[in-house]
Amino acid sequence: MEVETIVTEKKELYTPTISEIVAVETLTETEKLFEIALPGGEMLNHKPGQFVEVSIFGFGEAPISICSSPTDLPTFKLTVRRVGRLTAGMHRLKEGDRLGIRGPFGNGFDVEAFKGRDVLFVAGGIGLAPLKSLIDYTLAKRDEFRRVIIVYGTKNPAEILFKQDIEIWQQDRDIEFHMTVDRADAGWQGNTGVITTLIPGLNLDAPETAVAVVGPPVMYKFVLMSLKSKRIPDENIFMSLERRMKCGVGKCGHCQINSVYVCQCGPVFNYPFVRSLEEAI
Amino acid sequence: MSKPKVAFFDFASCEGCQLNKLNLENSLLSILELVDIVEFREAMDDRADEYDIAFVEGSISTPTCVERIHDIRRRSKILVALGACAVQGGINALRNSQPAEWVKEVVYGDDKYLFPSIPVQPVSAVVKVDYEVRGCPMSTPEFLHILKSLILGRKPEIFDHAVCVECKSSENECVLETGMFCLGPVTRAGCGAVCPENGQYCSGCRGYVSNINTDGALEMLAENGLSRLEAVKRLRLFCSSELVELDGVK
Amino acid sequence: MNQNNFTSLRQLKKVFFDERTTRGFISFLSDRAKVIAPCKKGENSYSFEYIQNPDEVVFDYPRTIQPLKKFFLPPRETLFNFNTRENSFSEPDIESEDRIFFGVHAYELQGLLRLDHCFEEGHPEYNYLRRRENTLFIGISYTPDDWHFSRSVGIEIEKLEGFCLYFEPLDSGFLVFIVNEAGKNLVELFGKGAEIDNDENFALVEKNFRVKIKFHHNRLPQVFENVYYSKVWEEISRKCLGCGTCNLLCPTCYCFDVRDEIELDATTGKRERFWDGCMLNSFALVAGGENFRDPLSSRTRHRLHRKFKYLADSAGDLFCVGCGRCSKYCPAKINIIDIINDLIGDFAGQQKRVLI
Ligand SMILES: Cc1cc2nc3c(=O)[nH]c(=O)nc-3n(C[C@H](O)[C@H](O)[C@H](O)COP(=O)(O)OP(=O)(O)OC[C@H]3O[C@@H](n4cnc5c(N)ncnc54)[C@H](O)[C@@H]3O)c2cc1C
Ligand code: SF4
Ligand code: SF4
Ligand code: SF4
Ligand code: SF4
Ligand code: FES
Repeated sequence: MEVETIVTEKKELYTPTISEIVAVETLTETEKLFEIALPGGEMLNHKPGQFVEVSIFGFGEAPISICSSPTDLPTFKLTVRRVGRLTAGMHRLKEGDRLGIRGPFGNGFDVEAFKGRDVLFVAGGIGLAPLKSLIDYTLAKRDEFRRVIIVYGTKNPAEILFKQDIEIWQQDRDIEFHMTVDRADAGWQGNTGVITTLIPGLNLDAPETAVAVVGPPVMYKFVLMSLKSKRIPDENIFMSLERRMKCGVGKCGHCQINSVYVCQCGPVFNYPFVRSLEEAI
Repeated sequence: MSKPKVAFFDFASCEGCQLNKLNLENSLLSILELVDIVEFREAMDDRADEYDIAFVEGSISTPTCVERIHDIRRRSKILVALGACAVQGGINALRNSQPAEWVKEVVYGDDKYLFPSIPVQPVSAVVKVDYEVRGCPMSTPEFLHILKSLILGRKPEIFDHAVCVECKSSENECVLETGMFCLGPVTRAGCGAVCPENGQYCSGCRGYVSNINTDGALEMLAENGLSRLEAVKRLRLFCSSELVELDGVK
Repeated sequence: MNQNNFTSLRQLKKVFFDERTTRGFISFLSDRAKVIAPCKKGENSYSFEYIQNPDEVVFDYPRTIQPLKKFFLPPRETLFNFNTRENSFSEPDIESEDRIFFGVHAYELQGLLRLDHCFEEGHPEYNYLRRRENTLFIGISYTPDDWHFSRSVGIEIEKLEGFCLYFEPLDSGFLVFIVNEAGKNLVELFGKGAEIDNDENFALVEKNFRVKIKFHHNRLPQVFENVYYSKVWEEISRKCLGCGTCNLLCPTCYCFDVRDEIELDATTGKRERFWDGCMLNSFALVAGGENFRDPLSSRTRHRLHRKFKYLADSAGDLFCVGCGRCSKYCPAKINIIDIINDLIGDFAGQQKRVLI
């Protein structure tokens, strides 16, 4: 603790890298897809399930999951739902505009735990965005996985994301795709009902199925119950949890669930660990 | 980019907020560069202008006010309530707890029948309010924050925590240490804790945090030596439209 | 029961300063560095301030309003300035000046050492660590009041870790204990004060520091392991106003929020961070209106678990240093000592039931 003992190396924890939006696509009334390039063709080097902190000066920062696979180079993609300050600011940006990026942060999915197994994706609402990075990764390396099953639910047909991808998934015979909406509208011909209605009908090799679940907080409890009744072992289940986040680097305290910093040890957790945290779900 | 059209309207208030606005001094010129102030008057106008942002002061206390505020709302994209009277009913609303006839008698004397009046209400009781600048007088930094945010096209960031947070951040001596009582622990921050900074207790002019623990607050005031009646009066001084659970406490 | 706390002191070399010499010493320090020391604040309070005049320094004080963290993690700090039109930003320089903190209590420095852990661990934070460079601490003894309980969390009044010198008051002045080389250099350069070879003439007065917590501090993490669902949390929340004072004043609370503020030119602005706290409303609120810690009972539970379990488990030390600020200044008069003892009572009750 003497005067001379501390020497501090400068590391940029809180300053963003100014990056360029190379494409914007409107997915729904409230969601847009942004394709972003770091300066100088630099790679983000992320893992599926990780997130970045996006900033617009004057508007602030927000954590957003990376929804493209690390195999899609050199850019990366974000799906953003307009809910407040930063996200509304983002929705006004166009191709060629710039914004700030920090990250990638968090642990991401442990892809090794999925390899050589049947893979079941359960996505609720905007939860499809973080899962899509893992889905695309799985499809890019299709041989390394056994069955690929995608279960997706939204509130209504207007909220369905990635319609083009879904069309491909529906036709691909290597993918088992199931979808439902809570409330149908006039043109809807598919399933109606909450997402858990799709799970009992699945024919699963329970011990050899690895599951990735992402959705709104209320969804987890019910999906976990249905997975349990399908006898999926808890340790095969991985889920991504959302919390308020500011710093992304384990300092600001906002993301804490009991003793765990979601921005550091998460956002992806293995279910047995989640069960040990009183505040998690 | 064309400048946003901004208007100011005044209802029943103590005029304290008007004065405060003029106190913006150095900022005023910069503000005028960013916005077009199109309306700065009291009377309803038939020219039916449309406004990007309407700032409304004062509480709603007559049937004419009700008509006027509906009209302003129709013409405004964003409506911001300014000051305790507009946001919480303010001191004006205290008259609600007095018999109406008695109030009119006191205020207007023999002319009382010329002035129909209704219970005093905050603006939000009549029309949708998008943002609020709290305080009596309204807090200037918060007004500027909201104005700047709206010009930039972003949602303002408004605190929902206690004045104590600002008070402790500037390391003021807590007035509880000098034997006073204080409403800072339950009052919404945003004023920079100006009263405690100047050795005065916070009288709650900005209204309360959204999760106010009313029983806890009464218990604290009792510990500080206030009788229950006095404690309730203190809590309701600026906020009779909030804390309705204290209605009828004698 | 209580062993002599002065054993560690007795082995140290020491000099004697009378009060005038002590103030002279502060002047001497001011010539070499910025000096920070406790001063009177308002009618009945104290605060650490940069010293202009040695006469301002108060030697005998119970505690300052804010702990030392404000010098390293300021209540409001500009992370960078930006320009929205050019999409550019620049960080303000954090100059690292020599600073000497005089008159610091042991629990205070222990609090700072715990903060060091948090800012060094994982992703080390430049802003904090840069301000921590080039600092020296000179300790002083104190007389515990009703709210101090640092002994109960394992921090004796005379804990020397981190100090270069330690001042123990006598009737006529101070015994100045030389804790390390840096302290020795200061005293030698100053060159005043009488050297003392034997203690006989200086009977150190043991301060009466009641142990206020019913269990030894080693057992507190175990207690916290078992009281997550205690009814105590709910009981406290009936009085608690959620004002955040207990967060804002705690030497080991360091949570913060970040906001952008734009200037009136609508182009330039700054990204700032502010102190935040887990007792406050928006702390765990996310889009969609879900608040992951809505009831005040769950917030107090989180605050105390951070002090006695979460951070304690990862850092190896309790994160409450017993300064008593959260209780002395709580407007609802909630006392952390009572909370802990109630939890211990709850825990002891559980253990009994297990035995039966
Ligand atoms: C790991 C992670 C991954 C995410 N991935 C995506 C994604 O891929 N796409 C997407 O659209 N959204 C995602 N979110 C949610 C997104 O971060 C929030 O919607 C966003 O922060 C809201 O910011 P805002 O400024 O637009 O809203 P604000 O105006 O700040 O607030 C709107 C609401 O959001 C809450 N909020 C504020 N800050 C945060 C925060 N940091 N985290 C959560 N809620 C907050 C507020 O309490 C308020 O209720 C993710 C969140 C996390 C934690
Ligand atoms: S003076 Fe009032 S606002 Fe300030 S800390 Fe004390 S109780 Fe809170
Ligand atoms: S300290 Fe209290 S009374 Fe004073 S301006 Fe702020 S909110 Fe109003
Ligand atoms: S200081 Fe007291 S009243 Fe305020 S939040 Fe903490 S425990 Fe509650
Ligand atoms: S919890 Fe209270 S007593 Fe313990 S260190 Fe923090 S403020 Fe001091
Ligand atoms: S987001 Fe700041 S600690 Fe996790």
